[in-house]
Amino acid sequence: MFECRLLDLGTIDYLKAFLVQKDVVAKVIAGQAPDTLITCEHPHVITLSRRSKIENLLVSQGELKKWGVGIFCANRGGDVTYHGPGQIVLYPIFDLKHDKKDLHLYLRKLEQAVIDTLRENFGLNAYRKNGLTGVWVGPYKVASIGIGVKNWVSYHGLSLNVCADKRYFSFIKSCGLDVKMASINDFFDDNVSVKTVRDLLVESMGKIFSFTSLENRVL
Amino acid sequence: MVKVYLPALGENITKATVSYWYFGDGAAVIEGNDLVEIVTDKATFNVPSPCSGVLVEIMAHEGDVCEVGDVLAVIEKEGGDDAESEEE
Repeated sequence: MFECRLLDLGTIDYLKAFLVQKDVVAKVIAGQAPDTLITCEHPHVITLSRRSKIENLLVSQGELKKWGVGIFCANRGGDVTYHGPGQIVLYPIFDLKHDKKDLHLYLRKLEQAVIDTLRENFGLNAYRKNGLTGVWVGPYKVASIGIGVKNWVSYHGLSLNVCADKRYFSFIKSCGLDVKMASINDFFDDNVSVKTVRDLLVESMGKIFSFTSLENRVL
Repeated sequence: MVKVYLPALGENITKATVSYWYFGDGAAVIEGNDLVEIVTDKATFNVPSPCSGVLVEIMAHEGDVCEVGDVLAVIEKEGGDDAESEEE
C-alpha cells in the first residue's frame, strides 16, 4: 500500500490542468510530493496527440469555435479525444517504479478500475477489447485512455463519460476509430452525477493500485 | 561515445515507435533531460539523455519502429572521454 494524495480540481481548463500536472510530475520525480491522483472536468475541448491524424478532426476550426470547443495538442499517447462537461477525468501522477515498470500493465490497470466501477456499482457489462485501449459497454465506448510517462512517473490518464453531450463526439473520429461513444446515464433512467462516479472510480483505483488516499492535500 | 538504447518498457513490449526528437543532430544535451519520445499503444515514454554532451547522430527517426535494445542515437560525452562506453 502507498499513500496517494487526491487533488480534485473541479471544472478547469485543459491547459490549466495540464500545467498542474506538469508541476506535480516534477515534484513527484524530485521526491518532493507523494503520488497524486488528480480528478477534474474540462470545459469543451478537443485534444490531439503528436500522432493524431488531422482527418480525424471532422469539422473546421471555425465550427469548433462556434460551439465553444478549444483545441489543444497534448504530449500523450493515442489519437484525437474530446473532453467536456459530464465527463470525469483522472490524471494519476504515479511513480511506476513502485509498481512494475510496465506501460501496458499500467494501461490495463486503468481500464480495470473503470470496468470494476461500472460492473460493481451499476451492473453494466463493461469490458476491454483485445488490441485496443479503453472501456466499452455493448457496442459503445465509454472511457478513453492516453498516458505519458517521464522518469517512470505517469501523467495524463483516463476519461469516463457520465452524462456527456453526444453531439460533441460527432466532431471527431474518437481515438481514430469508427466507434460510437456513450455515457453511463445512457443506460439508466435515473441520472448519476459526475461526483458520484468520481468517488466510486477513485475507490476502484485505490483497490487496483493498492493505495490509501489522502483527500485534497495542499500542493 | 555513448549509445542511447530503446529501454525495456514492460514484460510483453518488444517494439515501440519513435514519435518525437526533442533535439536534432549536433545539439548539446544534458544528462537526465528528455531526449526522445517514443510511443507504444496509448502510452508515450520519454527517454532521458544518459549523459551530457553532443547528440552526434540520430539512428532512429520519427516514425521508425524499433525493438527494445536498438540504438536510437549516439552522444559524444562532455569532457572528451575517448573511451567507448555504452549506457542504457
